[in-house]
Amino acid sequence: MQARNYFRVMTICNLRNFSSGVSSTANISNIFINRNPRNLEKLRIGYKPDGYHVDKPGKNYWHNLKLNISNQYITATINHFENGVVLKASTSEWCVKKQLYKTKDTSAFINLGRVLGYRCLQAGLTEISFDKDSVKQNGKVALFLKELEEAGIHLKEPRQYKPTYPWDQHRPEKPWEVTE
Amino acid sequence: MSRALFKLCNYTLCDNISPIFVRYGHHLRGKPPGIAKSLQEKLTELNYKDPQIHFKVDIGLPPPQISKTKFFEERMQTIRKNRKNPDMEKLSRTQQLQINMEETYADWLNTVGPYHIRQIAEHYGIFEHLFGDAYFHAFVPLKIAYENNDTLYPVYYGNTLKPDEAASKPVVEFENNDNSLYTLILTNPDGHLTDNEKEYIHWFVANIPGNTLDNGETIVEYLQPFPPKGTGYHRFVFVLYKQNKKLDFSQYKKQGKCLNLVDRTFSTLDFYRQLQDDITPASLSFFQADWTPSLKQFFHNELNMKEPIYEYDFPPPYIRKQEWFPKRRPFNLYMDKYRDPKQINKEFLLKKLKDIHPFKPPPKPLPYPNAQFIDSKVPSWLKTEIIKERMKWGRINEIE
Repeated sequence: MQARNYFRVMTICNLRNFSSGVSSTANISNIFINRNPRNLEKLRIGYKPDGYHVDKPGKNYWHNLKLNISNQYITATINHFENGVVLKASTSEWCVKKQLYKTKDTSAFINLGRVLGYRCLQAGLTEISFDKDSVKQNGKVALFLKELEEAGIHLKEPRQYKPTYPWDQHRPEKPWEVTE
Repeated sequence: MSRALFKLCNYTLCDNISPIFVRYGHHLRGKPPGIAKSLQEKLTELNYKDPQIHFKVDIGLPPPQISKTKFFEERMQTIRKNRKNPDMEKLSRTQQLQINMEETYADWLNTVGPYHIRQIAEHYGIFEHLFGDAYFHAFVPLKIAYENNDTLYPVYYGNTLKPDEAASKPVVEFENNDNSLYTLILTNPDGHLTDNEKEYIHWFVANIPGNTLDNGETIVEYLQPFPPKGTGYHRFVFVLYKQNKKLDFSQYKKQGKCLNLVDRTFSTLDFYRQLQDDITPASLSFFQADWTPSLKQFFHNELNMKEPIYEYDFPPPYIRKQEWFPKRRPFNLYMDKYRDPKQINKEFLLKKLKDIHPFKPPPKPLPYPNAQFIDSKVPSWLKTEIIKERMKWGRINEIE
């Protein structure tokens, strides 16, 4: 589903006592198109599927985390709702396996969490949805998630911002107007 | 309800007449579920692309050749060594085994890294917007870091940086074993102010011998990122090309700092098409940047232009055609949807200005706005409107 990515020019800002050497701003088009496919998702206005609320696992995410535990290895993938697998880390990769004693013990889970967190930060994916309630509190997966959070990944995605119309009761804050 | 009961009575009373089942207000539209296609099936059919026509071409370097027997032997030896290491076993058992991230990253770059980088770059639409139907693997490890106030800001595969952090040109390092020449280009495929199919070139260094840019020939000087306000995150892509021979880039050469944006207009696809016999993309790295307040000064002082400010253009809401006699709809709310919103706002504003004295401060907001008397003769719809005004709900927010 293609969301439109138009940005309409609101104002052309002028410095108050600006000298006369201004090149003409007439050559700026009124409509600006940012082609970055991840931009609207980062601004929280991109399309996010809702799915049915009774679906398990739900479909309400931009990026989510999936963990596949096989007989010998652990593989963690970051999935996008449209593009499928976009990032992965596994203990079967030589770069991880080389420094591990076993590829499926608790230490492997902890170290895989660190590796995946590092890769997510490198790829600019800092918010990833994951159903934490489905995980046992003191298990290996909980340790994996803890390492991921320590690396700086939020395991919850913000809600999609829906536009407000004049007849709406409230005016929620626009995410892009909040200054850090 | 009464009609349904009447039907039921009629039916039970007249036994000799065969019953006729009529389901009022129920229509089965289209084919029943199970036979009709689901949304998922319809979408896959809609988005199907014929592989005979839509296919991607690899334009990159071939993967490095490694001897398989030697490679497996080395790996097996390392695994056996690890398994016999009692310290490692103890660390692993006590959950204190911490792998070295730097080493992992370096190994990753030399093994599966290039394939993972391609996956994430496709997710960010890099190849689609720079090279059209082509892709490549980054087999040459590229290390880029901006240095600002003694802090390093590395560039990986989509991490976010602020334009202030990328104000001056970064330190670039890559592996160059066979003394061939390289070209490095930094472009922004999202930032063009007039033509969204084009890019702005931010940096162009060509004929680079060795593994640092010091001896390269600068074709276009470095320009910091300047994403305009309200346009969100822009991609800034470093592409490293391997050259066959020394090339002449005089037609791309820009004199001085080149602060005229028209001169910086660039198209990677056109550039690559022209030189594809002599250059091969070897590596890729990109970051994302969004607007910061300091860019206002940059637009005014450096680019010598007014700063454009944008806002996302949401699609207009769907309002269905007005009816002559709308049933079961509140008349005031219904009519308001078909009026000029500016006129409605004007009425709210005039009402507000009526109570405002030009020289006195505005009255304090009431602590309990709904605890005010409303005349009992006031109709209920108007009461609701008064309450909405007092509570600042709905259309009054348009002028607040």
